[in-house]
Amino acid sequence: MALTTEEVRKIASLARLRFTPEEEAAFAGQLGKIVDYIDQLQRLEAGAGSAPLAPLPPISLAAPEDDDSPGPCLPRETFLANAPAVLDGFLLVPEVRRTSTADARQVPAAGPGVGDDL
Amino acid sequence: MTCNPDLWGLPAEELARRIRGREVSAAAALESALERTARVEPLVHAYLEIFEEAARARAGEIDREVAAGKDPGPLAGVPVALKDNLNLEGHRLTCASRILEGYVAPYTATAVQRLLDAGAVIVGRANMDEFAMGSSCENSAYQETRNPWDVATVPGGSSGGPAAAVAAGSVAVGIGSDTGGSVRQPAALCGVVGVKPTYGRVSRYGLVAFASSTDQIGPIARGVRDAALVTQVIAGHDAMDSTSAERPVGDLLATIEEGIAGMRIGVVKEIDVVLAAQAAAAAPGPAPNDMAASFRAALAALEQAGAELVEVSIPSLEAAIAVYYVIATSEASANLARFDGVRYGRRSPGAASLSEVYFDSRSEGFGAEVKRRIMLGTFALSSGYYEAYYGKACAVLAQMRAELTAAFGRADVVVTPTTPSAAFRLGEKVDDPLAMYLSDIYTTPASLVGLPAVAVPSGFDGQGLPLSLQIMGRPFEEATVFRAARAFERQAGWQVAPRFRGAEVGAG
Repeated sequence: MALTTEEVRKIASLARLRFTPEEEAAFAGQLGKIVDYIDQLQRLEAGAGSAPLAPLPPISLAAPEDDDSPGPCLPRETFLANAPAVLDGFLLVPEVRRTSTADARQVPAAGPGVGDDL
Repeated sequence: MTCNPDLWGLPAEELARRIRGREVSAAAALESALERTARVEPLVHAYLEIFEEAARARAGEIDREVAAGKDPGPLAGVPVALKDNLNLEGHRLTCASRILEGYVAPYTATAVQRLLDAGAVIVGRANMDEFAMGSSCENSAYQETRNPWDVATVPGGSSGGPAAAVAAGSVAVGIGSDTGGSVRQPAALCGVVGVKPTYGRVSRYGLVAFASSTDQIGPIARGVRDAALVTQVIAGHDAMDSTSAERPVGDLLATIEEGIAGMRIGVVKEIDVVLAAQAAAAAPGPAPNDMAASFRAALAALEQAGAELVEVSIPSLEAAIAVYYVIATSEASANLARFDGVRYGRRSPGAASLSEVYFDSRSEGFGAEVKRRIMLGTFALSSGYYEAYYGKACAVLAQMRAELTAAFGRADVVVTPTTPSAAFRLGEKVDDPLAMYLSDIYTTPASLVGLPAVAVPSGFDGQGLPLSLQIMGRPFEEATVFRAARAFERQAGWQVAPRFRGAEVGAG
């Protein structure tokens, strides 16, 4: 099954990835070839009617019996030390722009580069 | 104490014994390893970073403990290389990806802490395929690692760095992670021993996640006894990993020399079909036929050692790659969503909105194979395809589990080749992702079903490159698998030092 460039673009958007047109074309071919191979699964009769919803853990994992009590966790400074940008003990990100024209209640963004990204 | 130049070649077990017995110092052992590393590293490029200073400080600590009459543990002073996806507090960790450039581990993985508690000296972080995705180490964003047997060939992957480091004599022990074969396959290609413990046997706390239903941490060593010793050290329940099993580990070395007289060894019937199809498909090179011959010789050696061969049937073996690459990529697409340029790792400098932070950081930070797998997993989970791909893969996996359970009713362990062929040449499969995936045919079933498996050297192909036998066991029966692997190692005796073909060798 060959994937169209349109499909590749849609999957990329779901995965929060962006590709150049050349990359899209390459991915369409490669993914199509892999999907063709994986399609052999469709020929197998296995597990009809009893398909589990997820790959069951290979062992039965007992539910933890510990009290669900608070314990020490990673100190905030330690965690933030790896963050690309921080302000007053919080993660700092650029403004969250409007996600669609329907959602107009959000504060309009000031500054350059205003646009819908998602 | 003087520096003994041969210490690097000792098994971990023997080295620790000498250090605990004050025959040699941990410092001398480390210097020997570092000298050997300086000699072979320019040929194999196994490391992304060597922690020279920290390792020297640590070796000094071990020596002070010994001098004070304390026992540092069963790995006292043993130099160990970590795959670069295991956290060691205060040290960098990249998963061989640009997206984690500059990341510093904020805590230590449980398995690594257990190594330290047993006296190990961590000497560096070793190369890998980016985010453990690959079978050749060529997907590292930083460097190509070479196979010590022939530096024009790949070391395998994704734990190619630790495997090459162990094979080259830099360290006695490497620690890798195995999701679909990532410890066993590079161990096979580098002619050393690799272990994938039972799912739940070793805590994954502090291991960067790839596919959470199969990821396991496992050791690489030059012999089966060392592999068992290190498995023993890192195994056991950990409250920090909810998938870690509350099962006693036992003493994995206690029965390891007992041999396999009367042991029932399952030989998978479908392997003949796979080998034949492969031989027919692979026009260039005699490798698959060599593998078939080597596998038959391995079976004969096991029989000679007293085992009884029984035929078992795993019809779903042929579908293993398809099942694995649906399930593993689906899980990867979810696990790798966390790398978004917000909390850690690289943020695209030009991003002007939150959405651009996500898209640009990920697109610039991930390499081609990681993107390919995220795309495949996203596709398999997407609306309209979920049932046909992810749902179907789970159903076939249930079938595979049933077949393997039945096989282990007839057999105590099940054997296959570890890989379809010996090491391939650098660049040979880079442009054909599917061909690369197919090298995992034999290793993915134990991953998907969660079984313990050991790869043990089984001879050489016509080009003089190592081949390997895989021995799988029932869940939590690592001791049986190690006993079989050790018996095979004694019977067949394939441990030979690599020759660094294609390079000016300063090894010796």
